[in-house]
Amino acid sequence: MRDAYTHMGTDRDRIEQYLPLRPVEFHILLSLAAGERHGYGIIQDIEARDDSAVPDVGTMYRALARMVDSGLIGAVRSTDPGDERRNVYRITERGLRVAKAEARRLYALTRAARVGGLLEKKAT
Amino acid sequence: MTHDQFLRLSERWFRLLLRTYPADFRDEMGAGIVEAYCGRARVTLKRNGVMSLAWLWCSALADALRNGCGERLRPAVSWRRRGDWGRDFEFARRRLLRSRAFVAATLGTLAVGLGAFAVVYTAVEKVLVAPMPYHEPDNLYFVWRDQSASGGLSRNTLAGPDVADLQHARDVIEDAVGMQLSVPTLSVRRDGEPLQTLMLLTSPQLFDLVGVAPILGRGFAAHEVGPDRPAVVVLSYAIWKRLGGDPSIVGSQVWLSESPYTVIGVMGPDFRFVRHSNLGPPQEPDVYLPFPFHLADQHPLNPNLTTFAALVRVRSGTSPERVAAAVDAVARVVNERTPQAAPAKLYATRLQDDLVAPVRPALMTLGLAAVVLILVLTVNLSSLLLARAAERDREFAVSRALGANGSAVVRATVIEGGVLGLIGGVAGALLGSWGARLLVELAPLDLPRRNEIALEWSAAAVVISVGLALGVIAAVIPAVWALRASLASLLATSVRGAGGSQRLRRGIVVAQVALTLILLSAGGLVARSFERLLAVDPGFRPAGLLTFRVAMDPRLFPKREDAFAFQDRVEAALGALPGVRSVGATAALPLSSSGPQNSIWGWQEAVAIPGAPGNIGDAQRDSLVAQIIAARAGYAESMGLRLLAGRTFERRRSETVQEAVIDEQLASRFFPTGTPIGAAIPFRGKSLRIVGVVKQPRLSALHEDGRPQLFIRAEDWVGFMPVWVIKTDEDPHALVPAVRRAIRQIDPRIPVSSVQTMEEIVDDALRQPRISAVLIGGFALGALLLVAMGLFGMISGSVVRRHGELAVRLALGASHQRTLRLVVGEGALLVVIGMVIAIPGVYAAGGLIRGLLVNVSPWDPITLSAVACGLVLVTMAACYVPARRVLRIDPAPLLRQE
Repeated sequence: MRDAYTHMGTDRDRIEQYLPLRPVEFHILLSLAAGERHGYGIIQDIEARDDSAVPDVGTMYRALARMVDSGLIGAVRSTDPGDERRNVYRITERGLRVAKAEARRLYALTRAARVGGLLEKKAT
Repeated sequence: MTHDQFLRLSERWFRLLLRTYPADFRDEMGAGIVEAYCGRARVTLKRNGVMSLAWLWCSALADALRNGCGERLRPAVSWRRRGDWGRDFEFARRRLLRSRAFVAATLGTLAVGLGAFAVVYTAVEKVLVAPMPYHEPDNLYFVWRDQSASGGLSRNTLAGPDVADLQHARDVIEDAVGMQLSVPTLSVRRDGEPLQTLMLLTSPQLFDLVGVAPILGRGFAAHEVGPDRPAVVVLSYAIWKRLGGDPSIVGSQVWLSESPYTVIGVMGPDFRFVRHSNLGPPQEPDVYLPFPFHLADQHPLNPNLTTFAALVRVRSGTSPERVAAAVDAVARVVNERTPQAAPAKLYATRLQDDLVAPVRPALMTLGLAAVVLILVLTVNLSSLLLARAAERDREFAVSRALGANGSAVVRATVIEGGVLGLIGGVAGALLGSWGARLLVELAPLDLPRRNEIALEWSAAAVVISVGLALGVIAAVIPAVWALRASLASLLATSVRGAGGSQRLRRGIVVAQVALTLILLSAGGLVARSFERLLAVDPGFRPAGLLTFRVAMDPRLFPKREDAFAFQDRVEAALGALPGVRSVGATAALPLSSSGPQNSIWGWQEAVAIPGAPGNIGDAQRDSLVAQIIAARAGYAESMGLRLLAGRTFERRRSETVQEAVIDEQLASRFFPTGTPIGAAIPFRGKSLRIVGVVKQPRLSALHEDGRPQLFIRAEDWVGFMPVWVIKTDEDPHALVPAVRRAIRQIDPRIPVSSVQTMEEIVDDALRQPRISAVLIGGFALGALLLVAMGLFGMISGSVVRRHGELAVRLALGASHQRTLRLVVGEGALLVVIGMVIAIPGVYAAGGLIRGLLVNVSPWDPITLSAVACGLVLVTMAACYVPARRVLRIDPAPLLRQE
């Protein structure tokens, strides 16, 4: 705990305090990294990527609300006529860095699992 | 149904499920969630048909329940995880400092309320709950003989052989000791100044039985009992300190009533041998002595010798039922041994229960009153915090519009309440520690374990925790109110003022009125009971009476003539003192029935009057157990006993005729018709002639007749009169030095002790009811003040809020008076609702305090209606004063402005 405080303030720590991300958060960032979406769009994206990882609608919207609060994503009211009540989400600079950091973390873990024999070595 | 209809139905279902989420989340995300579900529903219906749509509905329900509840709990959870306590407390501190008047008023109320709670908690905890300073005190029982069937005490002492039988029982009863009190004098040197002491004669295993060892020396050995025992004595810590506190006292000699004894031990300061009142006056024994006889050798039949209190220890873990069975078995042994006596009924009561039985109703009532007071305090604080939250609802709206989440609002209110409660608790604990000291000063001398009452850290911790809990609980209602309004509704209501908070405040006022009425009715009943108690006729006139004890040790007066001569000289010397109107002596002073004089010189005995008109022919029921009180001539006049017939004892005494004075109870029982004067009572082989009838001087309680009393002439029967009474027209205290001088001149070996005026004795008998009345009355008035404040605040808020509406009413022709009635009526309605709700509570409270009331029904209609009227008057005044602002409303400017 003490270390975390003494290092606080550096950019890197600010990113790391978000890690690890929950799967739903990672999926949201992944979708938004490709461009702005509204909520249902994100769900469709996730469905398209991996059918088994689709979160509950409520879970995802709660994650969206929290990620807006913490500044990983931004929300703007839709400008489409007749669609003013919908929010459109876009990833922020920080969100992008967090998503990349999380991807690196997962990659490192996967690699470690392979070295340790938990996963099969990737066929080259 | 077509697909479109299914989809519309689905959308309605999804919208309904949105209600599980909190309002602000719903505003922000609701549309998205419904859209996402509708999208899924469309796809599902198209691909898999209606059945899978039903499945989607169910999973949406599960999703909504899980995430909706989760989202509602999130403020609390996230604050716990990431909250910044320092910052939150800093804000609370600043906010509270900004409104000092509010803080001062709230803290004052809390401190007084919690202080009262602390005092009551301490007393209840110490007296009723805390274990006594003995080893496994739960296994200690007193055993009493129930003689109520034959008109005797229901809690009478045992004969020596009965105690010996208990000692031999050895089933679940591990051991038993007998105890008896005496009042010898003690001096360190043979010719030293005598101190009057209280001595406990007991079986040698007393200290082993209670499981406490002396701090110096040793306790009694098992063989140190009986006629041949060594002359050994154990001192109490207090008397040891009074004698100088020298540890080398062990092994040295002291003189008890002129006989030498060897000190073998000194008990520790914590060894408070708490006696039952049947055992003696409310003071600790100074010296402990083993019996100079064997209990089993005592006469089993003479009822006048049944003077041993029995204390037994039962085997650990024995249930009270098994103890009762074991005692019953002993009673059978007793009855087999003495078949000619009326069958003895023995019963056991746990030491602590036995001890606190007389004060339990008072303490239970006070405890309940304190709990109700805490509730009233909580409700009151809640209403104050709600008012503050309502004042700040614009601030809440703005801060939430600027991005503060709901938890910030909750935190603000809860921390404020918690801080107030915590500080109030600390202040209450401080006040309570003074209050506990005050209680000990005020408490009747015979409040069990009175000297152990002091506020300790543990009690202070409880009071502070109660304060904190009270503050937090009180803050929850306003916090929830502030949270549940969504941003939009908050902004909307802030234009009109706080409608929701007013509804809640009304509810709070109703609750306050109900709780207050319960407390007030209890307080009213207790006060009325106390008033009745002050008005009762105790059967004597306490004004101008000085009483004191002159202990005459039998060893100093081996011949009865010497004793009588001494008493005559004392009487003459006292009568010659300036200002003395009359002098008397008695064995049993009124209201001191628990004194040792009763166990030694006053006694109970069955009285029968053959040939009296009240006899019904049944020998058992024609004998009445009466208190036999020896008194010298002049006692009745000095004490101011009310003579109903005949005369009292005269100075001139006939050697052949033994005179007696009976009380009205004996007179009406045996002589319902005709006069008792001249009738003869067989008494100890002689015959007493009744010369007079007096109204009974109350011996034990001020308010109720005790056992019938039979006064016998001291000179005929006993040589030793312990209590002297002087009637004077002046201040009785001024006589004390002259009295001491007079006795010392007659015999310097005789100590004068227990100097008290009769008014002080009466006062002491009134202490417990007075404390109860003052405390409960204080609680009730405090609650009344709180409810008045609550109503005042609510009505003033209402007048301000409805200013516009009232102005319009006035403009439309309503008179000021009518408008005033409208506003006052708002408060009156709440009071009436509160009072109606309180009725079951008042009924229950009456039942609970029944044991405390003297000559007052727990549902006394006069008291209860007086209390209700008082509540209505005060609350209506609290409504009327702020409502008068209506009279100052001028509709014109407002109408112009509109």
